[in-house]
Amino acid sequence: MSGLLLSSVVAMPFIAALILLFVPDRNRLGVRIISPLGAGYSLLASGLVALRYDVAVGGFQLAETHALVPSFGIAFRFAVDGWGVSLLLLTGLVIVAGVLASWTLDDRSKNFFITLLVLVTGVFGVFVSQDLFVFFLFYEIAVLPMYLLIGIWGSSHAVTEAGPFKFVWRLFDIGGREYAAMKLTLMLLVGSAFIIAVMLAMYLATGAGSFDMQVLGAFDYDRSLQMWCFPLLWLGFGALAGVFPFHTWSPDGHASAPTAVSMLHAGVLMKLGAFGIMRVGFMMLPEGAVAWAPLVGCVAVVNIVYGALSAMSQRDLKYVVAYSSVSHMGVVMLGAATLTVEGWNGAVYQMFAHGLMTGLFFALVGLVYGCAHTRHMPSMGGFGLRMPGVATFFTLACLSSLGLPGTAGFVAEILVFIGAWKSLHPWWAIPGILGAFITAVYVLRAARRIFWGEGPAEEFHDLSDAKGVEWGALVILGGCIVLFGFMPSLILDFINRVTPDHLAVLTRLMEPR
Amino acid sequence: MSWDQLSPLGLDLLLAGGILLLLLADMIFPRLGRGNAKLTAAILAAVLAASFAVDTSGSTIGGAYVGGTWPLLFKRIFLIAGIIATLGSSAHVERCYPMRQGEYYLLLLFSLLGMTLLAGTQDLILLLVCFELMSLPLAVLAAFDKNDRDSGEQRTPEGALKFYLVGITSTAITLLGISLLFGMAQTTNIAQLGAADPTPLSTLGMLLVLSGLGFKIGVVPFHMWVPDTYQGSGTPFVSLLSVAPKLAGFAVFSLLFLQGLGGWSHDWVPAIAALSLVTILVGNLLALPQTNVKRLLAFSGVAQIGYMLMAFASANAEGLGVLLFYAAGYTVTNMGAFLIVQAVAAAGGDDSIDSFDGLAQRAPGLALSMLLFLLSLAGIPFVVGFWGKLYVFIAAWNAGLGWLVVVGAVLAVVALFYYLQVARAMYIHPAREQRRVAVSRSLQLAIIICIAFVVGMGVWPNPFVEATSEAARHFFAIIDASASSSH
Repeated sequence: MSGLLLSSVVAMPFIAALILLFVPDRNRLGVRIISPLGAGYSLLASGLVALRYDVAVGGFQLAETHALVPSFGIAFRFAVDGWGVSLLLLTGLVIVAGVLASWTLDDRSKNFFITLLVLVTGVFGVFVSQDLFVFFLFYEIAVLPMYLLIGIWGSSHAVTEAGPFKFVWRLFDIGGREYAAMKLTLMLLVGSAFIIAVMLAMYLATGAGSFDMQVLGAFDYDRSLQMWCFPLLWLGFGALAGVFPFHTWSPDGHASAPTAVSMLHAGVLMKLGAFGIMRVGFMMLPEGAVAWAPLVGCVAVVNIVYGALSAMSQRDLKYVVAYSSVSHMGVVMLGAATLTVEGWNGAVYQMFAHGLMTGLFFALVGLVYGCAHTRHMPSMGGFGLRMPGVATFFTLACLSSLGLPGTAGFVAEILVFIGAWKSLHPWWAIPGILGAFITAVYVLRAARRIFWGEGPAEEFHDLSDAKGVEWGALVILGGCIVLFGFMPSLILDFINRVTPDHLAVLTRLMEPR
Repeated sequence: MSWDQLSPLGLDLLLAGGILLLLLADMIFPRLGRGNAKLTAAILAAVLAASFAVDTSGSTIGGAYVGGTWPLLFKRIFLIAGIIATLGSSAHVERCYPMRQGEYYLLLLFSLLGMTLLAGTQDLILLLVCFELMSLPLAVLAAFDKNDRDSGEQRTPEGALKFYLVGITSTAITLLGISLLFGMAQTTNIAQLGAADPTPLSTLGMLLVLSGLGFKIGVVPFHMWVPDTYQGSGTPFVSLLSVAPKLAGFAVFSLLFLQGLGGWSHDWVPAIAALSLVTILVGNLLALPQTNVKRLLAFSGVAQIGYMLMAFASANAEGLGVLLFYAAGYTVTNMGAFLIVQAVAAAGGDDSIDSFDGLAQRAPGLALSMLLFLLSLAGIPFVVGFWGKLYVFIAAWNAGLGWLVVVGAVLAVVALFYYLQVARAMYIHPAREQRRVAVSRSLQLAIIICIAFVVGMGVWPNPFVEATSEAARHFFAIIDASASSSH
């Protein structure tokens, strides 16, 4: 069994989805048992992966290979390094929490869980793939179900039409879930077109007839090829990572998506983009990466500040959280662009921490919206009296979001800022810290607006605290935020074990000749 | 002449025997009714089974016809397409023209015979005869719906007449071009068409052939007839019309251009690449505003032809193999999509996108199948269309057509937009009526066959890739053999 451990992590959600296909629609209980089982297995197996991974040895472990298209050198090559271990754990945690948070969904719940499980198969697949082609295949599987998930189960919000382009808003139904679903799908697929072009260019340039990432990574590409391939990859994966100015799908998409999908998408999927940039862009095209890193870092800084400012001016609660994701993904990209060990550790740790935090945020927003039937913040207030548990966890997520010591968010941000300070562009740390400050302003303001103050107005009569399994989602994510805030080494050891190796080529390139 | 010498034609002779059988059965048992469809499917299945048992290699009729893996692959694809079309037509034919069932399947088989013969021809005259044997029955079939009371508008006669007139005009143009080529080369042997250096007159002949064939396969700017004919004709028939004649057209393209005029490739490759560019561009953009699924699939089909032309423009064995793989995948995908349009229309809807509203609730299986077909057409992983597009891009890139690849990749995203319009109607829009969609057994079977291929070739493309590239290599072996024998 140990030989197929990674395959089973990837395959089990898909198998659960296949089984669900044959469960009758009316059998709600069956659906609600099988989906958490599929997701839960992957979480447990991810935990097992973490146990099996020998930190002392490092590198890629638990490797397995299954041929797919031998004539093109494509195979399911699975293996994990320290980064993969931590991101697998994150995915497992968020999907389990997501399934628990969607427990009460009634509308076509079977189809919802099937699509969700297929999506998460793709996410797991990306994190373990060591074959660039399979990496891309799983990436597509992770992206495409979003169209249906948002289009069918999403919610539309009332946009205030304003300005000279009002008619455009009405024309395209901006803010509607179908608009959001289509926008997200098309933007991400344009990104995929870039990725596939680079992938083919790299494949043909090596001439080795293999998509094995070890082979592709070891090849010394022409400087000119790296110079045009890296920005394309950055834009391609960056579209998913929410890189400015290609982040615009993300607020619309996350705001329209149903709770579990927002959790998974903001919590894990956006990390696929950042992971892709680091794993393929930075590590496989080092010369291009060194040359373009200043731009990547500057844009990341824009992401942090612009995302935070945008979040500050939103009135729709989900948009606040969505823009905060854009801002926090900027921290990840900033960490990557520093090209320092601290920065990279921080980037991967931020992926982990932000995944937990934003997953918790969206779960809570879903709960609030479920009772209040509105996401319009100015009309809320005093909810804390009726939903103390939700208020507590929301405050916890806020504190992690602004980077309070003792939460996972702090560890990540401090690492990234140290990395930025040690990098060739120390000034990056200043707007980065400014972003963290603005974050404090808008998250605390949101928490005060919603939960504190006088008791809730008359219209919110059916407010109630989280119920039953919903607690499970909150406790898992909230608990992990605190746990990994106090004991970052649980995850950081895995990450730090491989970062210096991954960074070695880049460091050599940057040394003055 | 002994049987052995005819072995390259064995399958076609078997099919011809089947046609006679159907003819006799139709005459002796006038009330055969639905039995016609069963008999037709059985004949095609028998020939398909025989294709795995019979050795068809070698050449016959004085070298005018060759066998082997190259023509065999075409035969198999056409036979499978024929089986799918027969199964898919069965219910429609029985309901709409109950008294003319025998005729319908006879014409279908005659057309298929023309197709299966095509790829092995090595002689211009034989080639034209086969091509017309394919085309003329199709023109009759296109007009078969003319008495259908359901369509109050005069779409069927219009579409059928357009198809017929365009068909004979393009044949005339092709013939004129071929006669010019013949005049220069003084031979009807395809292999020696391009033996002499090109002259202005033979270049004109080549361009005429190109435009004549362009009409047949619906390349922009010769595509105007495609949407009207598709919209006007019976949908199960359109499922065949949208794929098989195109593939046959590419067989002719390969014979005339790769084999006959292979030496002039620097003349025709730019022309094909340019045609590919405008076809992808115009086909995808014109599909965007469509509200009728048949018209949408028609324009998307035009765009798909553009991608096949892109592969053809590589002008080497790799490109040809890729083209065959793409065309095979396109065949099962597009047929499946049209058959689902038929299923929805037969259950009380029409061809508009609106009639797909809420299909996911009314008929989850149909909706999921349609989604898979649409994703395959759009080129999304784990269905066959993805590998097709990918291989086409690799082949074109290798052949130095990087600019075409970029345009093709960007427009593939545009295409996703209109394919998703249908998906959106099926999954997101609420159903207008709650009635479940009843689908006849035979149509179900046809759709299942399509799904099996679309998913099978998508998940495990390797055997199919090997088969198509083997066929392409065999074709280039034929070219080499004929070139060396003529010296």
